[in-house]
Amino acid sequence: MKKTQNHVTRDTITKHGTMVMETRNLTVGYGRKTVVADINQEMLKGQFVCLLGPNGSGKTTILRTLSRLLCPLKGAAYLNNRMLSDLNSDELAKTLAVVLTERLSPGLITAFEFAAMGRHPYTGFLGRLSEEDMRKVQEALGLVNAEDIADRYFNELSDGERQKVLLARALAQEPEVIVLDEPTLHLDLKHRIELIAILRNFCREKGITVIVSLHDVDLALKISEIVILVKDGKIMACGSPDEILKEETIARLYDLDCARFNSQLGTVELMNNSNGKMVFVVAGGGTGTPVYRLFSKHGFNVITGVIHENDIDCHVARSIGATVIDERSFKKISNRKLGRSFALLEKVDHVIDSGFPVGSSNSRNLKLALKAVEEGKQVYTLRSWKAACDLYGESAENMIYCDGLPSILEKIVRREA
Amino acid sequence: MKKTRYFSLFILFLVLLGFFFVLNIAVGSVNISFLETCKIISQHLTDSTNGTIIWKIRMPRALAAILCGAYLATSGLLLQVFFRNPIVGPYILGISSGAALMVALVMLGGLSMGILGIHQFLISIAAFAGALGVMVIILTVAARIKNIITLLVIGLMMGYLCHAVTSVLIAFAEEKRLKGFVLWQMGSFSGFCWDEVYLVTVMGGALLLGAYLLCKPLNAFLLGEDYAKSMGVNIMVFRFLIVTFSSAMAGMVTAFAGPVGFIGLAVPHMARLALGTSDNKVLIPGVVLLGAIVTSLCDLIARLLFSPVELPISAITAFFGAPIVIGLLLRRRTAI
Repeated sequence: MKKTQNHVTRDTITKHGTMVMETRNLTVGYGRKTVVADINQEMLKGQFVCLLGPNGSGKTTILRTLSRLLCPLKGAAYLNNRMLSDLNSDELAKTLAVVLTERLSPGLITAFEFAAMGRHPYTGFLGRLSEEDMRKVQEALGLVNAEDIADRYFNELSDGERQKVLLARALAQEPEVIVLDEPTLHLDLKHRIELIAILRNFCREKGITVIVSLHDVDLALKISEIVILVKDGKIMACGSPDEILKEETIARLYDLDCARFNSQLGTVELMNNSNGKMVFVVAGGGTGTPVYRLFSKHGFNVITGVIHENDIDCHVARSIGATVIDERSFKKISNRKLGRSFALLEKVDHVIDSGFPVGSSNSRNLKLALKAVEEGKQVYTLRSWKAACDLYGESAENMIYCDGLPSILEKIVRREA
Repeated sequence: MKKTRYFSLFILFLVLLGFFFVLNIAVGSVNISFLETCKIISQHLTDSTNGTIIWKIRMPRALAAILCGAYLATSGLLLQVFFRNPIVGPYILGISSGAALMVALVMLGGLSMGILGIHQFLISIAAFAGALGVMVIILTVAARIKNIITLLVIGLMMGYLCHAVTSVLIAFAEEKRLKGFVLWQMGSFSGFCWDEVYLVTVMGGALLLGAYLLCKPLNAFLLGEDYAKSMGVNIMVFRFLIVTFSSAMAGMVTAFAGPVGFIGLAVPHMARLALGTSDNKVLIPGVVLLGAIVTSLCDLIARLLFSPVELPISAITAFFGAPIVIGLLLRRRTAI
């Protein structure tokens, strides 16, 4: 921490915090080949900065340049207001640590010894570890929940455990910035989330600036303070994820044709590639989501209504490309929307009642089901006989009762055939 | 726990080394009783025939085996870590081929200038010059290239180049000279004199110390060049030192004993597996001791197996060492 204090006078204090890393007109690449041009980005102390972009877009090249493993082609990167190339190798090692994607095979080295390598810039000529070094390594292993594997050989660890030890090594270097290249690669969901949680801890508790490239858009949305979108040799956009990670932006970033990213939910929904069959789903309160997903997966065109805009059903239905008749949040369903729903209802043979909860704002949806029965359409319901009787009265007799989604699908498919 | 293991193993290594050293002095084609050996050594008797055998022949030879074994093994270890490749040995950069080429020029080509009995010292000079020449070329290249694997390939190519020229010389050589050259190529510790032992001790000792001082960046290199760089290792300086130390050690041994194969490749593996670590702080002393032990043992076998006929040392090292390494590797779960 002494280090930071010495530099504090020279640091640029922005309105949000202390600037740790900055790039000015930075162009990165190999030899004469430019990979990404004109990067201008400030990164503050304790910030979680995330690079997103398709494979081969140059995320790794940027990260390697920021960690000085590669020379910039133009412009420069600055660490604590000093040009990266001006720092001597020891200063750099004490300020910046890396975690790379390359698969390591360091031989007969225990996890503890591996993490202790991070003390390299602090130890003496022969690299003997002092009491303090040992304590710091132990502490680093503790922070990544890897104390229990400290005595095992690195080569015998699983991918998730290895990644933790790599983090501990970086942490033992006591850096102000950690640069990680796709640290969640090869990890299962549990380890992926654990790793991200550890990194967030680094930011919040240690004030370390984490610069990371990820493929998980949903994770990036949820934890990063700055996202940088890299595509086609330039920075497509950068800034806070709430402003930037919009559906169209993500679709453009990854050239998505058959899926949509939903920024409210942070999930990717596969878009419907239709088989020409249509179903109308009367839904709400989240009961429609599994229905949409199932029928969309099986190639049905889904029409749904009337759904309120704040409803999760609305977000999912839009993402998978369903036709949605929506109503403003907390408003009663208007005549106009109901009329539109009736019009669409005409076109379909199968109507599904998802068993949505009925309240004052959406009670008019019941009319949709009643109208469908009236017109002799197949109405499938997920409600029990008794619940349906209470809601629909006599019309309940003409509905088809199903005890689960698969059985609806089965019945519809059989009928279509 | 680990420390006690290292400590006891090092004690064991030292005992073994002492044992083989004594055996190398006491046993040979001329039968000298153990008591007499002790007497000759303790009273420094050099006048009698047996005294001459022990002091002028066996003692320098035993010491040479110990020293050369230690240097070769260390040289191999340095390069294995540097190239992150377990099948690399001290001669991978073409050091022995360069030495062989120069020796071939002297022994087979016209460089002996009609001198009939070629002096051992001339061969040593030639071999050292050859090794040094290759080393200088490799160092020049090393300063220019980015990737160390390129260096490995260039070293291999240097080896092939030198070998090609040597083959041409062999094709045109007289038969009686050829045998001498072939035997030189298989290496031997015979004919070491005290002056050479002093020289090898001083020069090699300095190089060994230098190598030990490199153990910190060597450890960082276990994680690869990028990580080493990110931890503050100056790659260019380190590369220069590694190539210099390893090549100089290998070149020096080759100059005096010919190319002794296998030790540099196998002993690092044996040491890693015996000590159960890749930490170079422990491994370098381990490799030094084990290299000395294995080489002493191999030289003993080479001398005794078909005594008084002496076998080439490289044949023994490979014949007994290869199965040991394979066995050790198969028993281990962890890859090295």
